[in-house]
Amino acid sequence: MSTITDPRGYWGELTGEERGVAGFLIAAVLVLLGLMLTGVLDPTYFLFLFGLGGMFGLMSLGLNAQWGYTGLINFSVAAFFGLGAYGAAIMTASNSPIAGDMNPIFGLLLGLVLTAIVAVAIGIPTLRLRADYLAIASLGLAEVVRLVILNEGQWTAGSQGLRGIPQFFEGWPVLSTLPETLPQVNIEMIPGRVVTLGLPFWRQLLNVSLVLAFMVVAYLVLRRAHRSPWGRVLRTIRADEDLAKALGKNTYFFKMQSFVLGCLVMALAGVFFAHLQLFVNPGNLDPTNTFYVWVAVILGGAGSNRGALFGGFVVVAIREGPRFIDQLPPAFLTEFPPEFLRNLEFITGDILFELPSIAISPGPLQLLLVGLLIIGIMRFRPQGVLPPQRELIWPDAVDEGVRQGPDSGVREQRGGESDE
Amino acid sequence: MSETTPGDAAAEAASEDPATTGDEEERSDVVLEVENLRKEFGALVATDDATFDVERGTITGLIGPNGAGKSTIFNLISGFYEPDAGTVRLNGDDVTGIEPYKIANRGLIRTFQTPRKLEGMTVREAMLIGPQRQPGESFHKLFTAPGAVGERERVNMEDVERILEEFEIDHLARQPATDISGGQMKLVELARAMLAEPEILLLDEPVAGVNPTLANKLAEQIRRLHEQGTTFLLIEHDMKFIMSLADPIVVLDQGSVLMEGTPEEVRNDERVADAYLGGGGV
Repeated sequence: MSTITDPRGYWGELTGEERGVAGFLIAAVLVLLGLMLTGVLDPTYFLFLFGLGGMFGLMSLGLNAQWGYTGLINFSVAAFFGLGAYGAAIMTASNSPIAGDMNPIFGLLLGLVLTAIVAVAIGIPTLRLRADYLAIASLGLAEVVRLVILNEGQWTAGSQGLRGIPQFFEGWPVLSTLPETLPQVNIEMIPGRVVTLGLPFWRQLLNVSLVLAFMVVAYLVLRRAHRSPWGRVLRTIRADEDLAKALGKNTYFFKMQSFVLGCLVMALAGVFFAHLQLFVNPGNLDPTNTFYVWVAVILGGAGSNRGALFGGFVVVAIREGPRFIDQLPPAFLTEFPPEFLRNLEFITGDILFELPSIAISPGPLQLLLVGLLIIGIMRFRPQGVLPPQRELIWPDAVDEGVRQGPDSGVREQRGGESDE
Repeated sequence: MSETTPGDAAAEAASEDPATTGDEEERSDVVLEVENLRKEFGALVATDDATFDVERGTITGLIGPNGAGKSTIFNLISGFYEPDAGTVRLNGDDVTGIEPYKIANRGLIRTFQTPRKLEGMTVREAMLIGPQRQPGESFHKLFTAPGAVGERERVNMEDVERILEEFEIDHLARQPATDISGGQMKLVELARAMLAEPEILLLDEPVAGVNPTLANKLAEQIRRLHEQGTTFLLIEHDMKFIMSLADPIVVLDQGSVLMEGTPEEVRNDERVADAYLGGGGV
C-alpha cells in the first residue's frame, strides 16, 4: 500500500538488494514494453511467456516452502507439477478416458487432491528420517509418477496425451465471453508497424490472469506462514532439527505440513499449464524442469518468497530467450556474428574469419546459460539475489516504529520507554 | 509451570508413585527418576544400569571423567536415544523411549553441549521458538484466528525482551543469531529454555568454552532461576563451577553411578579421585 501513498518513503526503506532487483525489474519491463510497442515481440506471445514465467514462479514458491523454509530436498517438482496438470486434464480433456469435459474447477480439485495424497504417501516413510532420504525417495518418485502416467493408458491416455482441454474460464458466467466484447486496439508507434491487440490477445490475457491469481494467493499464504511462529519452527528445523525437538516441537508433523503445502503450490502450476497449453502428455513431466526450478530457488535466495518468484521468471527468460533469438525479424539478427562484428575482421585477422560458420542453435545455448548462471551464483552470491531481508516476526507483534526506524536508535528509544 | 507449589507436586508425585520402592517414598518429591538405565552401542556399554533421582528444587550435578556416559544419559532421558533397558520417570509418569518433543511438552527441556546456530534469525527470533503451545504454530490458525496468533506473539515478544534484560543481553536482541560469541550463545540458549517454562532443565556443559566472566554470569543466572523454582540437572567438567553450584552431585563412571552426595562428600571420596585418574580433576 505504501508504494502508492508514499513511494519515496517506500523506496527509502528498501535494502540495497531490493533496490537492485526493483531497478532490474523496472528496466526489464521498459525493455519488454519497448519491444512490444515496436512490434518486435508479439504481445500475445509475450503473455504466453509470462504465463510460463508465472508457472515456474509458482513451482519455485512451492520448492521454497519445502527447501527454503524447512530444508526438505525435493527432486520431484516435475512430478507434482505433472500430477496437477494431469488432475486438471483428466477431468476436462475431450479424450479423457475417465471423466472429461467437466468444469475446470473439478480438474483443479482433482489435481490438488492427487498431489496431497501422493505427497503424504511419500512423506510418511521419509520425513521421519534425515533430509537425504527424502531427496533419494523423491528422485525415484518423479520417475514412478512419469512412468505410471505413461503406461496406465486406461486412465491417462498414455503417450498420446490428453487433448481438447478447455481454457480455465470457459463456461464461467461473465469471464468466458469477456474477451469477445473487448475492442480491437491498434497501436502504431513506428510508422508501418502496427501492433494489434485483438481477440487472441484478450483471450490470452484472461488465461494468464489465472496464473496471476494463483501466484498472488500462493504468495500471500506463504508469506503469512513464513512470518508466523509456524514458519519459525520450520526455519529452526532447517537449521537444526534436534533443537526444534528439544524445544517441544513435533518436527515430523511440521515437515509434513511444509512438504504438502509446497507440493500443492507446485500442482497449481500444473493446473495452470494444462489450461495454457490445452494439451498434456507424459513429456511434460520432464525431470529437467525440476532442476530449472532448483536453479530458480537458488538464484532467488533460499527462504525468500519474492526471490523464488523472481528466479522463476529469470529461468524462463533464460530458457525461452535463446529460442526467441531465432524468431527475431531478419532485420535484427540473421547471422552470427552480426555485420558490425565481421567488419572488425581486419583487426583480429584469422580468428574472426572462422566465426561466421559457427551455427548457434538455441538448445545448447540455453543449457550453457543455465550452467553459467549456476556457477556464477555459487561463486559470487551463494545466498542468492534476494535472500530474506528482514526479521520474520508476526507483523502485529512488532511496533511500527521498530519496523521503520533505523536499527540502533530505535532500540535505545524503546529501552527508554520501558525504564519508566 | 515452574510455580507449582511443593505441596501439590508432592501429592501428585505420591499419588502416582505406588509402584516405586520404599526408598523413594521417603523423598517423594522427585521430578526425575532414572532407574537401571542401560544403553549399548555395539560392544560398548555407554550406560550401565544407571540409577539416580533428581529432587524438585535442587541443582543436581552430573559429573564423571570423559567417556563416563554423561551425555548419553542426557540423550536417554530427553528421548533422543532409546534405552536398551531401564526406565525414566518424569513426575511419576513413565516417559521411557517416547519422542523428544513429547518429553519437552511434559516440562523437561534440555540444552546441547555445542550451541546450535540458527542461520538467518536474529537473537530475538531465535528466542521466540522457546515458548510452548503457541497458537501460531498451527497452520490453519494463521488464517482462522490471526488475532489470537498476533496476541500471543506480542506477549511472547514482551517475555523475550524481559528475559533478555534479566540475562543482561538485551543489546543482542536484533543481532543475527550466528554473529554472537559462544558464551553469549550459551546465555541465549539458557534464556530460551526458560521461555519454555520447564519444570526441570537439563544443561549439557553450560560453561564449556565460555570465558570466566560469562561463566560467572551463567552461574548467577542458574542460581537466580533456581531460586524462582526451576529444578536443574547439569553436566559440567569445570569442577569449580559445579562444586559451587550443584548439590547433590551424582558421579558417573563407566556408565554407572559411582556415588551421590554433597560437593563436600564427593570431593573427599577416594573412589571419585580414583575415577579421575589420581584425583587430578578434583
